[in-house]
Amino acid sequence: MNRREAIFQGAAFAAAAALGLTLPVRTWAALPLPAGATDAEAALLDAIGETILPTTPDSPGAGSVGIGRFIFMMAAECQPADAVAALRRGLAEIETASRSNSGGAFAGLPAPAREAVLLAYEKRAAAETARGATNPFRLIKELTMFGYFTSEAGATQALRYEPVPGGYRGSVPLRPGDRSWAT
Amino acid sequence: MANHPTTSGARAHTYDAIVIGSGISGGWAAKELCEQGLKTLVLERGRDVKHVEDYPTALKHPWEFPHRGRLPETVAKADPIVKRCYAYDESTAHFFVKDREHPYVQEKPFDWIRGYQVGGKSLIWARQTQRWSRFDFDGAVRDGIADWPIGYDDLAPWYAHVEKFVGISGNRDGLETLPDSESLPPWEMNDVERHLQRGIMGAFKDRHVIQGRCAHLTEPQPLHYEQGRGKCQARNLCYRGCPFGAYFSSNSGTLPWAAKTGNLTLRPHSVVESILHDPATGRASGVRVVDAQTKAVTEFFARVIFVNAACLNTNLILLNSKSARFPAGLGNDHGLLGRFVAFHNYRGSLHASVDGFADSYYSGRRPTQVMMPNFRNVRRQETDFQRGYMVFFGASRSGWQQGNGMPGLGAAFKEKITRPGPWGIFMMMQGETVPRYENHVRLDPEKKDAWGIPQLVTSIGYHDNDEKLLKDFLAQGEAMLAAAGAKNIRAVDDKRRPGLDIHEMGGVRMGRDPKTSLVNGWNQLHACPNVFVTDGASMASTGTQNPSLTFMALAARAARHAGEEMKKGNL
Repeated sequence: MNRREAIFQGAAFAAAAALGLTLPVRTWAALPLPAGATDAEAALLDAIGETILPTTPDSPGAGSVGIGRFIFMMAAECQPADAVAALRRGLAEIETASRSNSGGAFAGLPAPAREAVLLAYEKRAAAETARGATNPFRLIKELTMFGYFTSEAGATQALRYEPVPGGYRGSVPLRPGDRSWAT
Repeated sequence: MANHPTTSGARAHTYDAIVIGSGISGGWAAKELCEQGLKTLVLERGRDVKHVEDYPTALKHPWEFPHRGRLPETVAKADPIVKRCYAYDESTAHFFVKDREHPYVQEKPFDWIRGYQVGGKSLIWARQTQRWSRFDFDGAVRDGIADWPIGYDDLAPWYAHVEKFVGISGNRDGLETLPDSESLPPWEMNDVERHLQRGIMGAFKDRHVIQGRCAHLTEPQPLHYEQGRGKCQARNLCYRGCPFGAYFSSNSGTLPWAAKTGNLTLRPHSVVESILHDPATGRASGVRVVDAQTKAVTEFFARVIFVNAACLNTNLILLNSKSARFPAGLGNDHGLLGRFVAFHNYRGSLHASVDGFADSYYSGRRPTQVMMPNFRNVRRQETDFQRGYMVFFGASRSGWQQGNGMPGLGAAFKEKITRPGPWGIFMMMQGETVPRYENHVRLDPEKKDAWGIPQLVTSIGYHDNDEKLLKDFLAQGEAMLAAAGAKNIRAVDDKRRPGLDIHEMGGVRMGRDPKTSLVNGWNQLHACPNVFVTDGASMASTGTQNPSLTFMALAARAARHAGEEMKKGNL
């Protein structure tokens, strides 16, 4: 344990002892779905999240942190009232496009085919949004990034997370391979 | 309504001094009074917040918040005013007043951001701490907008006194427009900020780009360790409360210090309804308190009363302190109580990008910005608007957020957005507004809050002068960024409502002439000199600096004066 970790853990322990904190919830698997949403839709969102931010050699993908239930929860609680319905409509459109253009259910397609479906859908979303219609793809993508990069796996493996930097240095060379700070 | 002591057992409720409010200025009043041996009662309308142990979110990771810091729509709808505050989110919401619990009447739109708890807004302030310069005082007098009885020289020793205890990081820049503080080592600029500094100062000789000054312990001194406070760890999670005590708050600094004297009584859940006036002595005799939880009414008595309820609530308490002698509110012989409220104009900002510096980055999260002291109308009137503005800015590289609005997905997309993106610049203004008679607060004649106290009516708006000053900042900001080689410069007027700056000042303004002001140069009510108003309410003008340091210096100076006058038998 280095000095900074020691400071942080010492302070964390003191605060936790004072507050009687319970262990943090680090998984979304237990999140309830909003009314009307199904497990199958959450699984489809997981597959979409995994396609947007896939597993790579250094870090897991958004699907593996269970992004689908997080997106549904955020749409239900932190977005305008019609967001869940728009989200479900978008999922149905993606699934339909997948079956008619790529010959099968989205979740069963190989990665390149999934990417093709979503890239096409992103273009359609841009066109629809440009003419004032509602399309949930931008929200799906934004919440995928937001949920993933604020998750423990995303923050600590896909990015660099330093809870207690200890100080600020204004000029640090960026070396090849350096990731962005998570916070 | 009785206006003299009526409660039985008055002696048990009698102190040498009462301080109304435990925020940044009340904490200082309490510290200085207690240190002079005065038994001091601090009344706080909110709950107790103990340093460290009542900071429930301070050490949480992002993934420990259900909505990752965002607030549910139900909250946003229920409390739309506080929702607009930049510091209000899932990790800090417990330190902010919810609109629905404490209603007020907006005759003109005003976002009133409040923190009702021990420590008040000192837990959630932005911690930028600059001294006023002589130009801030004398310029307002020159322009005929204030009648300041004091100037920089009166406050300078008290700035130093406060700064040594608080701990202010910053350079000693040697600028007349921004006097040096008793400072701890400064934070660093990053490479792009240094680049902008060179570019701007090369093109504009009278514009100084300096590192911001803030109330963070970059190198704690013995006096700070004695408070139990430690070095800033550059987490920049300050609005949750700092478990290291690295930024200054009443909770980490002045209140425990006052408590150590044995002279402090801190009473949370104590809503002050009014200050009592004794016609026999012509002085205030005490205060009437409504218990926030039980609504029981109690009276407390003291020889001096400090009103530090934060600007608008200080106005409210005085307006509600009606007596035979003062039917329009305590000290209000001329109807000017609640008048000349002003604030800081934050409407303008600029966004830009800077090419290059691809191999430069930074580490840690700096709790301050780069700043530029006011350069407008400093020595004489030069523009088509009165007064001036301070500029804040900073440069940073975009993180994963660069992916928002960026087409694409998959491994290459993930790779791209997890590497530091292009450099961006954010620049903003802090403009002085001119106190005007029409900008005022008053009591609503009918509406009351849950404690039976009249609701406050806010009638505070922008003026044509503010529009001109804003326009000038946007033009000058663009010129400065362009001179420094920035690209894609976008100017924004966010048209925010007054109040969201959280720098409201005035209403009980200081002045030499009792006919045109409420308090004298020692922050005493002209008409009731054992009542001291030492928070933002006493400000006769707003200057261009963040005001908290000045509030602290005024409070400490007035409290010392009160103690000395009491010893002499004058109070």
